[in-house]
Amino acid sequence: MAQVKATPKTYDVIVVGSGAGGGVAAHVLTLAGAKVCMLEAGGWYDGAKQSSMFQWPYNAPHRGAGTKEKPFGYFDATLLGGWRVPGEPYTNAAGTNWMWWRARMLGGRTNHYGRISLRMGPYDFKPYSRDGRGFDWPITYDDLAPYYDKAEELIGVFGSHEGLENTPDGRFLPAPAPRCYERLVKLACDKVNVPCIPSRLAILTRSIHGRPACHYCAQCGRACGINANFNSPGVHIFPAMKTGNLEVLTGAMARAVVVGPNGLARGVSYIDKKTRGEVTVNAKIVVLAASCCETARILLNSKSSLFPNGLANSSGLVGRYLMDTVGSDVDGYLPILEDLPPRNEDGVGGMHMYMPWWHYKDQKAGRMPFARGYHIEFGGGRGLPGADDFGGSERILGGGYGVALKRNIRKVYGAGIGFSGRGEMIPNADSYCDLDPNKVDQWGIPVLRFHFKWSQDEILQAKHMQDTFKEIITAAGGKYFTDATAENNWGISRGGAIIHEVGAARMGADPKTSVLNSNCQAWDCKNLFVTDAAPFVSNADKNPTLTITALGWRTSEYIAEQVKKRNL
Amino acid sequence: MTEKSGVSRRDLFQIMGAVPAMAAATAGSGLAQKRENHETRQGAYQRKVFDDHDWQTVRVLCDLIVPADERSGSATQAGVPEFIDDWLDFRREQDGNDDLAAQILGGLAWLDRESLRLLNNNFAALDAELQQQLLDRIAFPETATADDRRWAAFFSKFRDLTLNGFYSSKMGIADLPYLGNTAVAEWKGCDPAVWAKLEERMKNGYKGLGGEVKPWT
Repeated sequence: MAQVKATPKTYDVIVVGSGAGGGVAAHVLTLAGAKVCMLEAGGWYDGAKQSSMFQWPYNAPHRGAGTKEKPFGYFDATLLGGWRVPGEPYTNAAGTNWMWWRARMLGGRTNHYGRISLRMGPYDFKPYSRDGRGFDWPITYDDLAPYYDKAEELIGVFGSHEGLENTPDGRFLPAPAPRCYERLVKLACDKVNVPCIPSRLAILTRSIHGRPACHYCAQCGRACGINANFNSPGVHIFPAMKTGNLEVLTGAMARAVVVGPNGLARGVSYIDKKTRGEVTVNAKIVVLAASCCETARILLNSKSSLFPNGLANSSGLVGRYLMDTVGSDVDGYLPILEDLPPRNEDGVGGMHMYMPWWHYKDQKAGRMPFARGYHIEFGGGRGLPGADDFGGSERILGGGYGVALKRNIRKVYGAGIGFSGRGEMIPNADSYCDLDPNKVDQWGIPVLRFHFKWSQDEILQAKHMQDTFKEIITAAGGKYFTDATAENNWGISRGGAIIHEVGAARMGADPKTSVLNSNCQAWDCKNLFVTDAAPFVSNADKNPTLTITALGWRTSEYIAEQVKKRNL
Repeated sequence: MTEKSGVSRRDLFQIMGAVPAMAAATAGSGLAQKRENHETRQGAYQRKVFDDHDWQTVRVLCDLIVPADERSGSATQAGVPEFIDDWLDFRREQDGNDDLAAQILGGLAWLDRESLRLLNNNFAALDAELQQQLLDRIAFPETATADDRRWAAFFSKFRDLTLNGFYSSKMGIADLPYLGNTAVAEWKGCDPAVWAKLEERMKNGYKGLGGEVKPWT
């Protein structure tokens, strides 16, 4: 029988989670002098020591192909995690087909993510005011801008100054020069009036803070062996440990926030995965950054006589207004790129160019059939060949075999291209998570049950993506390939597939309609804060990680100030 | 680097790359065990899907699709039959069905059936010229007859598997060639010589394998 233990020590702050949100909280708070205990449900991870950079797929099982255990392939940095975590199930309500990604490791998803680092713009904080849909944030772009500055300066983001509408520029390192196919696609975009600009990724093109610059092997997803991209362990956690103020407990699966008779958080109870026993750690302040849905789960499981519906849930909004990003893809083939001289087109781990949303004025004027926008990501070139990269050649070559086929494959290699839209979902009342009434995980913790629906705005946005990608490919003289039709909602992604889940404990100006106040402090429990994506009120097309980092920084500074003023 | 050590710079990079991955694999994911199995497996491959007769046909078919030429070896020399056998088993396990294995095994069975019907011999035993005659019926999906369409679909899938196996092998990567997966001291972007070629194509149009590109206005 597992024992329930309590550690005698009381920390200043417990941070639950070690990804972007937990990392930044630990970083800011330990530098401010707080004694912090970080709980991570997964194992230890140090990309600088454990990266599989420079490995070849032919040395891996099945040429490195993705599996259920490792959806992004054998070399992906995520050692334990995916849409299924062994022994940690979740359920879907009838009619829902949600998929929930979790990375059980130090640094969470920051180890493998795409490093796309886009600031939300002024419109994105006040979407309701602009089009009457969704909800406004309780803060403005100007409130967060200084923290975007700090975040970019610490993690290192490259980009260019463009001055585009609702696409704020940042404190950028120089952007890497585009690859050949990217320069070509930019010219095609010029023809169809789609802006195509240098991308903004958290990868160092110059050495900063003792971290070296990128060496352009394109393998950021395998974790960087030289710490040249942003990852929470290498950038937030290890420097924080050097202060002597941070203690990290791995294999510590948070179950509930413990509340004292005064209604304040007193600590966190977690399952020690090694012993399966429950341990309670005590602290003056609790910061949840377990990832959007996991944070909601902890709050819903933190039931007590004072908070019978879960902690911070007097509004009934914990778990509600869950969002993901809208995705839809078109593949293409550009004959103009055939048979070019061999060259190394790896570059950074990701795109050097992208297309920010460009129809703000049309939308304001009511000329678009859907609300909110998307940005375009694209890839191609002479990439590292894996197990499944040469299928469908008959679509280009008509078929064939033999020496002629071999000669042709050399010519067509590098002429394929793919476009993906990443768009804003408007929060809706049908999309949320709650506790499954029956099921538990192997740690004895009730699991989440998901409910999810796209609205017509998202579906019509996917259609617009399809039309735009076909137009760009056609403008470049290419062929496009897509299965998207009205019947399959224009190829819209499954909820959770883009791994941008946000919301579920939103911030707001009114305790009746939000879980957290404008400092991401629980209305119902003043020493409880959230620094992951759960506080998000909307999900702009801008990928969440940079905003998690900036908002988490702002929240952590607020915590430090309140401690100094003895309000906490 | 001294001559005595016998390690070239390139080898050193490979070794440096290999060490951290092993560390990663041993960090509790169970992958270390898998990697070891994979490496010990490479000497003598144990087939999981194809029987002896299938194996003979698969080897013949792979080398008809990717024969040796002046730049590189053939599919069998690159271990493609082993890749395909492993891949069919892998997909069966991952997808929870054996649709792909069934399509491939069914197509191989048809190849023999048709060879026996027309030429009184198994496919693998036919002269290369006769093998090619049969393949010409199914290797070009757009010109295949209605009766042959499903066998053309089989052949397209088999060609995908062969190309995937070949071009993700060490031999295939050198054949393409893919020149990355290495540290680059200075990233310069698109090579001006390549861009000049693209500009010329944009100006004058380009007739490629994958269609004609009209001059860009």
